[in-house]
Amino acid sequence: MRRLLLVLVLASWQALPWAEESIAVVVAAGSRLDKLSLDTAKLIFKRKSMVDAYGDRWIPVNLPPAHPLRRIFSLAVFDTLPEDMEEYWNEQYFQGINPPEVLSSEEAVLRFVAATPAAIGYVRSAQADARVKILLLVRSAADLGEPP
Amino acid sequence: MWSLLSQAQFFTILSPTAKLLLARLFLFLSVLALSAARAESGGDGSSYQLGRGLAVGDTGIRFGGYASVEAGAPSPGPWEFSVSDLSLFTTWTDHAHWRFFSETEVGEALTAGGNQGLSTRNAHFELERLYIDRLFDDLFSLRFGKFLTPVGRWNLLHASPLTWTTTRPVATYDLFSKHATGLMLHGGFPVLDRRMDYAFYADLTEELDPYRSADPFNNALGSHWLYSAADNLELGLSYVNYQLHDDPSHRFNLVGVEGAWFYRRFEFNTEWVYRNGGLQGLYQGFVQGVAPLVSHWYAIGRYEYFDQVQQPAGQLGVFGLAFRPVPPLVWKVEYRIGTHNEISAPDGLYGSFAVLF
Repeated sequence: MRRLLLVLVLASWQALPWAEESIAVVVAAGSRLDKLSLDTAKLIFKRKSMVDAYGDRWIPVNLPPAHPLRRIFSLAVFDTLPEDMEEYWNEQYFQGINPPEVLSSEEAVLRFVAATPAAIGYVRSAQADARVKILLLVRSAADLGEPP
Repeated sequence: MWSLLSQAQFFTILSPTAKLLLARLFLFLSVLALSAARAESGGDGSSYQLGRGLAVGDTGIRFGGYASVEAGAPSPGPWEFSVSDLSLFTTWTDHAHWRFFSETEVGEALTAGGNQGLSTRNAHFELERLYIDRLFDDLFSLRFGKFLTPVGRWNLLHASPLTWTTTRPVATYDLFSKHATGLMLHGGFPVLDRRMDYAFYADLTEELDPYRSADPFNNALGSHWLYSAADNLELGLSYVNYQLHDDPSHRFNLVGVEGAWFYRRFEFNTEWVYRNGGLQGLYQGFVQGVAPLVSHWYAIGRYEYFDQVQQPAGQLGVFGLAFRPVPPLVWKVEYRIGTHNEISAPDGLYGSFAVLF
C-alpha cells in the first residue's frame, strides 16, 4: 500500500527525482541537539512530543499539504498522506493542540528554522546548508523500498 | 418516530419569528457547509481555517469551537429539536512552557419539541473546560483547572463533530462525572518502542466552576493510561476513586478499559466500566464498529450494555449512517432500539449536523 501511494504521489506530481533524494530533518545550526530518531520525529510532527531534551519547546513547521516533499515526508514518516490525518488533527484541535504551522517553501523553512531556537523542519538534503544542522535523514524512496 | 405527520406539526406550530430564526440557522449552517467544502485540506493554516479556528497573529492566541444541531423522535415521547451546542475554544500558548485552554458553551441555545414552539428558554451557559498546563518535559506536565475526566476515549473526544452517532453510549457518562476540577499530572514515555500516555488527577474543589457540571464529583482521585500498541491500535485503562456531590453517602471505585482500532477508514471502539461502592456493583459498556460505504458515507453499528440501579440491565442496538463530506463537518442519522432502556436511552430516530469551526 505504501508503495502504491508513493508511486501515485510521485506520478501525480511528476516529481520522480525528489524520491531519489533523502529528506533532511533540520534544526538551527547552533542547536545543542545532534541526532533524532524517526520515532521521535514522528512524535514531534504529530505534536505528541512537545519539549526537546534540553527543555525547549519544539516548534515544528510543515510544507503545504500539496507540496510534493510534504507528501513524501508524510508517507515516509506517518505512512499516510496529509489529508488522511485530518481526523487526527480534529481530535487534537478539540484538545487545544494545533498542527504544525505551514511555510510555503523549503527556503522559508530554512530561514525560519535557522532563526528560531527549537524550530524543526524538513527539506531535501541537498538544500540543507550551513544555516541548519541535519538531525535525521529520511531516505524517502529507499526506505519505502522503491527503485530509483 | 419522526413521522411525516410530526414534521408537519413541527412546522405548523412555529411562529413566523421562529420560522425566520430557523431559516437563518439553516442558512448559516449551509454557508458553513459550503465553506467546509472549499476548505483547504491538510490540517494547517496560520489564519482562519474551518476546523482549525482563527489564529490571532503571533500572539499565540487562537479561537475556534464547534456547533451542533440535533433532532430526535424518541418512542414514546414527543419529538425534540435543539441547537444543542455552541462551543467556543480559546487557546493560548507562550511557545515555551505554558498552555491555556478554555471551552465555554451555550447549551440548548434554541429548542423545540412536542407541542412547544421554538424557544430559547432552555439556553444555559456552561464552562466545559478551563485549565492551564505547565510543560516541564514530555514526561511531566501539570494541569490546573477544570478538565474532562479521563475515563475512556469517548468522554475525552465527545464533541459532536468527532463522534459517529448523535446519541452517546450510556457507559460514557452514567457512572461518573464527565468533568473534574483540580490538578492533573500527565505526560508520556516510550514502552517497547511505543508511546504510553498517562494521567494522574485529583478533583479538589467546585469553587473554580461557578457553572457547576451536572452530577459533579465531590472529590476524586484517578488515573488513566493509554498505550499506542501500534499506529492504529490504542489500549487504555482507567481507575477513579470518588464521591459524587449528589450522593455523598457512598464512595465509589470505578475501573475502565478501552480499545480503539483503525484500519483505513474502518474503526472499532469499545469501552467498559465497572463501579462498586454503592448499593451494588454495576457494569456498563459498548462496542462500536464503523465501516466506509460509498464516497463520504459511513455505516455505524453499536451494541450497549448497562446495569442500572433500580431496573434490570438495559441493552441497546444503534444503527446509523454518517455523511462526512470534509472532516470538520458531519451529518448523522441513527435508529436506537433496546430493552429496559426507556429512562436512560429510549428507542427512537435521532439525527444531527455538527461542524468544527
